[in-house]
Amino acid sequence: MNTITKELMTTTVAVSELCVHVGSTQLMGPVSFAVAPGETLVVMGETGAGKSLIAQAILGTLPEQLHSSGVIEVNGERVDNVAAHIRAASWGRQIAALPQEPWRALSPLKRSARHVRETYRYVAQHADPESSCARVFEALGLVGAEERLPSELSGGMAQRVAFAAATAGGAPILLADEPTKGLDNDRRARVVELLSEVPRQGGTLIAITHEVAVARALGGKLIVLKDGQVVEQGDTLSILAAPGHAYTQELIAADPSSWPQTASATPGKVLLEACELSVVRAGQNLIEGLNLSLRQGERVALLGPSGVGKTSLLDTLAGLHAPARGSVKRADGLGPRAVQKLYQDPPTAFAQHVSLDVSLRDAARLNDTPWSELEDLLSRLAVPLSLLARRPDAVSGGELQRVALARALSARPSVLLADEPTSRLDPITQARTLEMLAQIADARRLGVVLVTHDAHIAERWAHRCVSLS
Amino acid sequence: MPWVRSVLAILAGRSLQALIVALVVGIVSFIMMQALPGDAAYRIAAGRYGYDMMDAASADAVRLELGLDRPWWIQLRAWLGELASFDLGRSHVYGSSVIEKVATQLKYSLLLAGGAVIASLLIALPVGIAAGMRPGGTVDRISLVVSIFLRAIPAFALGIVLVLVFAVQLGFLPVAGFRGPQYLILPSLTLGLGLAAVSSRVVRDAVADAMSAEWRLFARTKGLTARRTIMSHVMRNAALPVVAYVGVQGAYLIEGVVIVETVFAWPGIGHALVHAIFGRDVAMVQGTALALGLIYVGLNLFIDLTCRLIDPRSS
Repeated sequence: MNTITKELMTTTVAVSELCVHVGSTQLMGPVSFAVAPGETLVVMGETGAGKSLIAQAILGTLPEQLHSSGVIEVNGERVDNVAAHIRAASWGRQIAALPQEPWRALSPLKRSARHVRETYRYVAQHADPESSCARVFEALGLVGAEERLPSELSGGMAQRVAFAAATAGGAPILLADEPTKGLDNDRRARVVELLSEVPRQGGTLIAITHEVAVARALGGKLIVLKDGQVVEQGDTLSILAAPGHAYTQELIAADPSSWPQTASATPGKVLLEACELSVVRAGQNLIEGLNLSLRQGERVALLGPSGVGKTSLLDTLAGLHAPARGSVKRADGLGPRAVQKLYQDPPTAFAQHVSLDVSLRDAARLNDTPWSELEDLLSRLAVPLSLLARRPDAVSGGELQRVALARALSARPSVLLADEPTSRLDPITQARTLEMLAQIADARRLGVVLVTHDAHIAERWAHRCVSLS
Repeated sequence: MPWVRSVLAILAGRSLQALIVALVVGIVSFIMMQALPGDAAYRIAAGRYGYDMMDAASADAVRLELGLDRPWWIQLRAWLGELASFDLGRSHVYGSSVIEKVATQLKYSLLLAGGAVIASLLIALPVGIAAGMRPGGTVDRISLVVSIFLRAIPAFALGIVLVLVFAVQLGFLPVAGFRGPQYLILPSLTLGLGLAAVSSRVVRDAVADAMSAEWRLFARTKGLTARRTIMSHVMRNAALPVVAYVGVQGAYLIEGVVIVETVFAWPGIGHALVHAIFGRDVAMVQGTALALGLIYVGLNLFIDLTCRLIDPRSS
């Protein structure tokens, strides 16, 4: 990162009238902008607004069936009409990209240091890649994680390893697609800090995010996209201070820091009680001596940074993981299906090759729930029934999480354990989904445990917050 | 050391399995031989002296010598007792030591199995990788058709076709038997083509999956060349399902060996097993079946350890 030379100071990305199509349907555009060295461009918008397409078009990694029109210039040279292998030659050296899902971007059989070391060795061609790698691991607070496999890294660590691997080639232009997705506040701040280094060192940063706080911290210029269309464009801080478009206002209002505070509840009888609970997973002591009770109609937030054992604790409460010490007691009369769980990554919680309709009907049959009740639930969750004909990968994350909620509720549970159910959704969808969850929980007097890394959500959405650290 | 511990766990598990397989195979093959109709003593005497030279007296002599008139459970107990001291007894027909005979035949069978696996990998790896690099492309579609065609032909039929073409018509290669390395080619190819028909598709799927993975694209965009990405990321990930599948094919191989050895008059263990059954040579049947069972276990052990080596996650 500190090898920016004079020659690279001319680096710039200029895009004019960029559109992305699939067949004759336009998915995104037209978008025009220019970023100079030392500058930042932030692209905001909800999931599916076409933000990622901008990065893919600039990089030259659009999926085969998509094609772009308009002019893209990198370092003053037109690249949109150039052969793929020539564009690929600039990857890592001129232009680098941070992946959206660091776990999926690191090949699963390679230990973390090797991902970084090979970039130093083969791309930057450092004489001593080992010590370059050791230095960057030190600088990023990754010491001790060198020999870990990607599956053994927390989300924040994986993101930093991916950052080190992507930037080791010394590319002055960095494209970051949702670099803070699913990270807690502390780790988000660290990633933002890393990213701000890029323009400070004279590089060019194009960051795609849906988080208002990230956009504000990065500053620079802003483009707000809705359904592939630019609704607002200009200076980041002035737009966020005085948004002109209703959609930008909605985006800002959906940020958890501006949510209204939940009124206190009148909890009923105890549903679930953890006594002196200790949780150990893979030989690691995660939770020790935790006491927690959950009552009817109560919403409890479990707050803590990534890697602290929130998911393991939730699995223990659900009875999916045995406690190392202590106990989890369910109230009398709560059967095995009275406790239901919502998962963090909705696509992985559904059978991939089966339509949603089949998944839901199976759940309804298993739980002896009439189909009409599920239809009613889905309409209250604003899921159109026509959506059910699709497979899980053909609906948005927000829709899928609501279908998952309907599936969990079809078991008529008393307790709902939600594992970061909205951390992968954009803020508007997150606000809507959690609002619906709250309404249904209140109406059915459910006890809800919500795992989150967002202090604002914990504070404003739940009645009570338990901090794990 | 979690690595050492996981390897020891694999070894311990497979050793226990070997013991169970030895008992089950020995007992079941014994019971099946008992259940065959006809007088075993007559068949064994026929095997020893030829059908024309034997009579009721020689059959009775055989019965007395081998103790075939004893109750079946005493015979079985005697075999198990010998097994415990690693002795498989003597062939009822030839009188020679079963262990020695099995060891000789096994040597030929493993030679053939090894030749078959090498032949299949020489075909399946290049074809599967080329097809997986461009799913839906020309290589992919042609190799799919050829693979279905080859898989649909039974091994013995393919063997006979190869013999007719390469040995009888063209005279390039010997027809059958074993008197030198060139005798290995046709039987290996017969088995190898059948194996490659399926394993080339497994290789193709593994490579196509790896090529479309997000980490493959990330390795490219961080600056690695296409070639380096394939060598250092794609191949290792794609190898995992392939190694596991080649292990599964070991089972097909052992089954296929019996028939192909007969077609090529190969002096291997499958050939010997068929003859031992015809000759009611119970000790030989038990010995060869035991050897085949233990090869399964050994094969599984080898695959476990190889996968462990490729995939550090499994510790």
